[in-house]
Amino acid sequence: MSGSLIVVERLVKRYGDHTILDDVNLDVKAGQVLVVIGPSGSGKSTLLRCLAALEPMQHGSIRIDGKLAAKGKEEADGEPDAASLRDLRQRIGMVFQQFNLFPHLTVLENITLAPRRVRGMTQAGADRLGIELLRKVGLEDKRDVYPERLSGGQQQRAAIARALAMQPKVMLFDEVTSALDPELVGEVLRTMRQLAEQGMTMLVVTHEMGFARDVADDVIFMDKGKIVERAAPEVIFEHPKEARTRAFLERLLDREGRRQ
Amino acid sequence: MNDFQFTRILVYLPDLLRGVGVTFQIGLVSASIGLVLGLVLALMKFSRHPLAYWPAYVYVEFFRTTPPLIQIVWLYYGLPLITGQDLGAFGAAAVALGLNVSAFYSEIYRAGLVGVHRTQWQASRVLGLSLSDTLRFVIVPQAVRNVLPPMGTTTIYLIKDTALASAIGTPELLRIGQLISVETFRPVETLTMVAILYFAVTYPVALFVDWLERRFKIART
Ligand SMILES: Nc1ncnc2c1ncn2[C@@H]1O[C@H](COP(=O)(O)OP(=O)(O)OP(=O)(O)O)[C@@H](O)[C@H]1O
Ligand SMILES: [Mg+2]
Repeated sequence: MSGSLIVVERLVKRYGDHTILDDVNLDVKAGQVLVVIGPSGSGKSTLLRCLAALEPMQHGSIRIDGKLAAKGKEEADGEPDAASLRDLRQRIGMVFQQFNLFPHLTVLENITLAPRRVRGMTQAGADRLGIELLRKVGLEDKRDVYPERLSGGQQQRAAIARALAMQPKVMLFDEVTSALDPELVGEVLRTMRQLAEQGMTMLVVTHEMGFARDVADDVIFMDKGKIVERAAPEVIFEHPKEARTRAFLERLLDREGRRQ
Repeated sequence: MNDFQFTRILVYLPDLLRGVGVTFQIGLVSASIGLVLGLVLALMKFSRHPLAYWPAYVYVEFFRTTPPLIQIVWLYYGLPLITGQDLGAFGAAAVALGLNVSAFYSEIYRAGLVGVHRTQWQASRVLGLSLSDTLRFVIVPQAVRNVLPPMGTTTIYLIKDTALASAIGTPELLRIGQLISVETFRPVETLTMVAILYFAVTYPVALFVDWLERRFKIART
């Protein structure tokens, strides 16, 4: 059952002559939850954005379910065709730090737009799905409200529901609690935990070390565009192999210690 | 004050109202041309393809920077010489003003589209929405709100610019006013009357845009 869902091979991403992702290899099995940590500018967001096909890459390949989904544009046989890109986007859901809900649509309309337009669902079918997802994230009473009337935590849960409505195989989370007031972080993390328990494959960039410890199967430490170390959370947190990982975690825990 | 003789002008009111009709029609045709062509130009200027971008760029700069009066004259006198196509006084004025205002509308569309945060595009892309669905359901409904106030102002300018059609003899409001002035030797009264009638056309447009703005705001809360 545990075949690889995502295989990233030798991914190179550059902006100009600045290399952001430097020969990244990554293997994600179905149902795994991976937490990605690392200093600012290490390429965590860029990695997620490449997986979501929001960014072209120079070299390497991304396979999803064994199928080639994206390929470096400087590779001999060029870019993936539009159909496989569309395919890739349907399998991957992404949630952003800034929620990015559509402000002119109600919460339910935010969720049903893509299922209707992309998956070809009927209005009634999409509404049923949307309401079920809103119940799942605890927002069933907010279906007809516009996003600006929601708290940050509620907006983020609505954004998670919107991504889930496309029934992705993988969910990508890029610092989804970083823009929230501290008291609202918990409700979003709880939703993500639930999702993990239900077997969703997840790639999570976060500074929430508690979440990483409890939920992650593996923690990935990135630095300067490379994956420096990947191991189970207890290994990463208790005995990291790499000096850079240790230094980063010491700084992080030090900062958290001072905050409390 | 007693020298003003508005009553002498009133007998010409039916003529003036016919002029209002023509002014309104020129405005309507040119605004329609401008709204459609302006959107096409704006989208072309968003394109990174040089064959889309550069023609739109040259077009917009050309029509923005030359006087609309001369554009009308070109189309009325120049086009038949070059192509043998005679649009007539009404057609030449309406088309020339439409081409002119499309340059201004396109810049307004562009500003409106740019004003929608780029993260809205990203959110649409990760949901798998096509480009046309993204524009139709996500970007344009938000851009409309940014676009309405400058669209209203530009349209009011356009309606006043229809007066330029008088230069090629289109029987619109100002042209009729000029003829009446000559006949009655009462230019001040006549043109004041004409100004009031322009107001009667432009002010409802202003009110209509205000109403649209309110409608699109209410949809948010
Ligand atoms: N559009 C862009 N053009 C040029 N450089 C970029 C662009 N986007 C990101 N970068 C650069 O890529 C590097 C990695 O950025 P990225 O956002 O992936 O880092 P990150 O690990 O997510 O950092 P953070 O923790 O601050 O979010 C940074 O040096 C950044 O300046
Ligand atoms: Mg980031």
